[in-house]
Amino acid sequence: MKTTRVAVDVGGTFTDICIMDETSGAIRIEKIASTPDDPMQAIMDGIGQAEVDLSDVSMFSHGTTVATNALITRRLPRAAMVCTEGFRDVVEIRRANKEDLWDTYKDVAKPYIARRDRLTVRERVDADGKVLVELNEDDARRVAEVLRKRGVASIAVCFMNSYVNGENEQKMAAILKAAMPEVAVSISSQVMPEIFEHERFSTTMANAVVAPVVVSYVDRLGQKLAEGGYDRDLLLLHTGGGVMTPSSVKDFSARLAGSGIAAGAIASRYIAGLCGYQNSIGFDMGGTSTDVSLVYEGEPRITKDWYVEYGYPIRFPSIEVLTIGAGGGSMAWKDEGGSLRNGPQSAGAVPGPACYGQGGETATNTDANVVLGRLGTSLAGGKITLDAAKAEAAVRETVAEPFGMELHEAAEAVVQVANANMANAVRLLSIARGYDPRDFALVAFGGAGALHGAAVARELSIPTVIVPPNPGVTSALGCLLVDVQHDYSDNFMADAGSTDPADMEAAFAAIEAEAAERLAHEGVAPGDMVLQRTVEMMYAGQWRSLGVNAPAKIDNVGDLIDAFHAEHAREYNFRRDDAPVSIFRVAVKATGVVPKADLPSSEPRPHTPEPTGTRPAWFEGEKCDAALYWRDDLSAGASFDGPAVVEQFDSTIVVPPGSTAEVDRYANLLIRMKG
Amino acid sequence: MDDLKTQSLDPVTFEVLKNSFITSVDQMAERMLRTCYSFVIYNRDFSNGLHDAEGNSVAQGNQDIAVHVGTLHYTCKDVLRYFEGEMLPGDVYAINDPYAGGTHFSDVRLVRPIFDDDALIGFSQSNGHWSDLGGTVPGSFDVMSREMFGEAVRITPVRLFHGGRFCRDVADLIANNTRDPASIIGDIHSQAQATQVAERDVLRLVRKYGRDQVTQGMAEVQDYVERAMRQRIAALPDGTWETVDYIDRDLSQGEGMIPIRIKMTIKGDEILFDFEGSHPTIASMYNSAPGATFSAVVAGTKTFFPDLPLNSGFYRAISVKAPPGSIVAAEWPTAVTGFLMPFEKIMNAIFEMWSQIMPERAIACAFNLEYLLCGGRDLRKPEKPMFMFYEWLPGGWGGRNGKDGSDTTTACFGTGLMSQPNEGNERVNPTRTERFDILRDSAGPGKWRGGAGVQKTSTLLQSDSAVMSYICDRERAVVWGVEGGLPSIPHGLTLTPAETGEDVWLGSVFSNYTVKTGDVFARPTAGGGGFGDPLERDPERVLVDVIDDYVSIRRAALDYGVVIREVDADLCAFEVDEAATEAARAEIRANRVAWARSEPAEVAARYQAGEIDAMDVLRRYAVILDWNTGELLPKTTAQFRESFEKRTVAHWPEAAAA
Repeated sequence: MKTTRVAVDVGGTFTDICIMDETSGAIRIEKIASTPDDPMQAIMDGIGQAEVDLSDVSMFSHGTTVATNALITRRLPRAAMVCTEGFRDVVEIRRANKEDLWDTYKDVAKPYIARRDRLTVRERVDADGKVLVELNEDDARRVAEVLRKRGVASIAVCFMNSYVNGENEQKMAAILKAAMPEVAVSISSQVMPEIFEHERFSTTMANAVVAPVVVSYVDRLGQKLAEGGYDRDLLLLHTGGGVMTPSSVKDFSARLAGSGIAAGAIASRYIAGLCGYQNSIGFDMGGTSTDVSLVYEGEPRITKDWYVEYGYPIRFPSIEVLTIGAGGGSMAWKDEGGSLRNGPQSAGAVPGPACYGQGGETATNTDANVVLGRLGTSLAGGKITLDAAKAEAAVRETVAEPFGMELHEAAEAVVQVANANMANAVRLLSIARGYDPRDFALVAFGGAGALHGAAVARELSIPTVIVPPNPGVTSALGCLLVDVQHDYSDNFMADAGSTDPADMEAAFAAIEAEAAERLAHEGVAPGDMVLQRTVEMMYAGQWRSLGVNAPAKIDNVGDLIDAFHAEHAREYNFRRDDAPVSIFRVAVKATGVVPKADLPSSEPRPHTPEPTGTRPAWFEGEKCDAALYWRDDLSAGASFDGPAVVEQFDSTIVVPPGSTAEVDRYANLLIRMKG
Repeated sequence: MDDLKTQSLDPVTFEVLKNSFITSVDQMAERMLRTCYSFVIYNRDFSNGLHDAEGNSVAQGNQDIAVHVGTLHYTCKDVLRYFEGEMLPGDVYAINDPYAGGTHFSDVRLVRPIFDDDALIGFSQSNGHWSDLGGTVPGSFDVMSREMFGEAVRITPVRLFHGGRFCRDVADLIANNTRDPASIIGDIHSQAQATQVAERDVLRLVRKYGRDQVTQGMAEVQDYVERAMRQRIAALPDGTWETVDYIDRDLSQGEGMIPIRIKMTIKGDEILFDFEGSHPTIASMYNSAPGATFSAVVAGTKTFFPDLPLNSGFYRAISVKAPPGSIVAAEWPTAVTGFLMPFEKIMNAIFEMWSQIMPERAIACAFNLEYLLCGGRDLRKPEKPMFMFYEWLPGGWGGRNGKDGSDTTTACFGTGLMSQPNEGNERVNPTRTERFDILRDSAGPGKWRGGAGVQKTSTLLQSDSAVMSYICDRERAVVWGVEGGLPSIPHGLTLTPAETGEDVWLGSVFSNYTVKTGDVFARPTAGGGGFGDPLERDPERVLVDVIDDYVSIRRAALDYGVVIREVDADLCAFEVDEAATEAARAEIRANRVAWARSEPAEVAARYQAGEIDAMDVLRRYAVILDWNTGELLPKTTAQFRESFEKRTVAHWPEAAAA
């Protein structure tokens, strides 16, 4: 009986390995420096260091940055695209807009596939799916011959209107495969069968260029794990918040881009759920940036507007994460108009904040927190020592003197601006989408999340902050908590009022069959399959659709219309009961449930723990003595009032004056805000 | 700079309020994108603003379209002027009046007063381009209009919500004067809701910081931008720069381009733009009212200060003088719906002047916006519904100092605007796109070439009573190069009727032209103008452009003097013939000044005889023809050559030596 689960999250700096004993639920963490040139190195070293016996592992899941990095650095194999004649430049013309509207010297990057490698063939399908021009096979063979001579590693086949009829694309792919059996072929009508050519072609292009990189990585890692005795499927986390097995990776390689970001959001949802919150905001603050995600009624907010590089959408449904340039290392500065700014420039790892003593001279959030006594000078169990004098000097020079403030006033100003900026990011993701933050809990994690979490929550009137047991490795925990998941959709454009439920059933049945086949292919037993239906609808004439959950059997389209009106009112604050409603698309989220092991828990024993000491700290202009706690000493049921600072190996938690902290049965620390 | 106000709010409150104002406006944008009906809004032709109690602009959205900057405060102030003393919480007003500082009738602004208890503390405003506002032509763009009466519904300030109650009568009156009433009502709700999002956010700030701090913050963020802007201007040398750009023609007159003259003076920490000498208004809708002209000046200038936020503080350092009744200061009831034509001329002229002041941000002329409207009945469907499509294409921007121009980019009036997907178009309208790709040789040659334009060719499918209008320019005032760079290509639409199969050049401006099932219509967009002498372009760059097919082998030789041989196209193998290149460049260098000054009539004759093509006529001989007949346009050519001498020939070393 195998009893160990392993989850690996590879980040830019560290590779975190989370090891769970299924029988006891006990979790061990191993942290090792990442090896960007060959990420596998750190994974295998870390497993060795943690003394994991791979033959005892029942599940190995992995969040990887291989696909994202390949796209960012553009270290990509030569790939080609075959298009309908007249349409080779769809991915270069894009939607023609720019990311920076005003800076004429900032351009959108060129497509992943160069113009010279985008070739065309004669073929055409119309908007109804009728083949107007059969694929010209002479053209197709000629293109195959040219690409064979060029030695391309991967090919995207992207034809107009193939979302309604992919026949010509299939024929083209068959000719390419016959000429070059070893070359990966991504077909737009399979990768992303949706209307709008740029979005479909771009997704297919991203898929084609990363496929050789990802497939070879997954093969090599799978082989290494097998050599060590692991005999099950390697599970790979994708942006949709689920995992897939290597057998699906070649078809949906680009879904692995952004996999790391999803992990944090999944973990925060799980932790909030354990604490009884169905609505939560994930607040993952690191050294240079903060990732914000949102879970409503137990479901993470999903977006299809996602990309690695601006202009090249990857339209797979992805967990929506808003990233802003605010982290522990973000620098404070006075701009030419005389305003106190915070970020997005960051001191980074080198020189780092001034208090690191590596030559940094500008005040960062970390320096300000040291000055305010919120962050101690001894971190990581004494491994890192911060220089308080240097932090003070930096705050004095960058902020206090230019603005004529006292030292602590200046430090607090730095932190307040940072908190307000982060709160604005949360507002864009929540209030702007019709959610009231007061109904949410904030899950604070990442190296700096718990330092700022309570203040950000207060800014937003969020009543509760949850700090998971190991805030610095929460993303790895996320990798451990996933199910196999695939997303399928099909266009279904119709007037809702006159739609026959039987037609919708038929549309769902088709994609559900495909989804079930995929899950079966991944080794999911029929009893573990869950298919969740969504119908995307809008008021006739609108341009964006809104997803509404649909039942497993649709008897009555009127119920869906009612649900749409309600959802529109919730999200956008108005409804038009007299306006006709259109259906745009049907979608299915197919989940293969992976049994979850319980996290360790212990019965809470209400008590007031003894602080290990006190430290002067400043809050809202007042100096006070903050009680100090060591997190490992706090057991379930412990509760105490702020001001307090809880220190642990990978994080520091600030419990501000007027709030109360308590430790729950899963060792989460909950901060209840007052007022 | 003595009168610059200092800040009284503490630094934290100020910075937090400043960022929160922008967030509130960005939330409006988010809301609009998700609920809009107009496909023009959906493709990002909208903007949102927050204003103080006097209507001054406090913050504008981060991704708002360029063309609306510098106009929102005018319409807000006009609403305030009209309704002052009668406003209630929950009111929302509409205005689209270009004569009161708006842009054109299609841009309808909804303005909501924000009250804290009974005190008016500011306004939120949402501006969106509606799909139709009536008038004689679908989409409300009648090129031939001379006065506003046939153009669209003019909305001077009206109440759409009264104390939170929807004024159905007023809304229906507006909607029922358009071709798309259901969408118009939808967009009213969408925009009214957007303004409410900002209201809620501002009131949250009032609860937290107090009314006085928030209103003080609204004033101080304007002072803050003004301070930054004035400091930058003061750091620049004082001086005067002037230039001229042209609209192709006045349709009621003979040939000859219509000048827009601008003189820019920097003095101390202020900039004055003087349009003295610009042409009077012309007999089409290609005129601009003062508000839109101010907007063009702001947009052109802002391009050289990309990092400064936009609000009324930015505008305070800028003043504009324009002769009343001129093409840049049109008055009621002159037609101004095509104001974007003068707008982009002003923008590019301002680019040219700032390029001399800030060579590190220099840029040549960008392609001119173009849009095509076509409406009729769709016979593909049994109920033969009306269809109306409206599309714009990207093109090339000008070459830059040390960098080629940006390829296939939205027109400079609205960099936020997105182009539309062909698959969506084919589904909704009876058209099929035959081709939509980068147009070879469309970029203006230069040491740094312009960005490439595109070619779009479509077929009209089964339809009835269909008419087409085309709104474009720079068929004659062709996109120019600078610093010795060359022009790109002329704009203009070619129709191939199914009946005859013969091409008809319809040019860049026409209205209500009858089109039939099976007709093919094709149009290019120009590339950007070249920057610097094309003979100085690194041959390796020309080679890469040939490999990627941006430039043909033939034009590589003619425009750049770079001779390239194909080795194996299958393997993308081409090579530069260095000796032949040296010879070709020497030959061009020896003759090009004379070519650019040769007898225009002879050039026209050689074109008519098929010896040279339009690109030769433009780029080598600097001559403008009627591209349909090949007939010489003498006055236009003289104007074009004046520009070519100044922007191009004067920068060639051999011309300077002579």
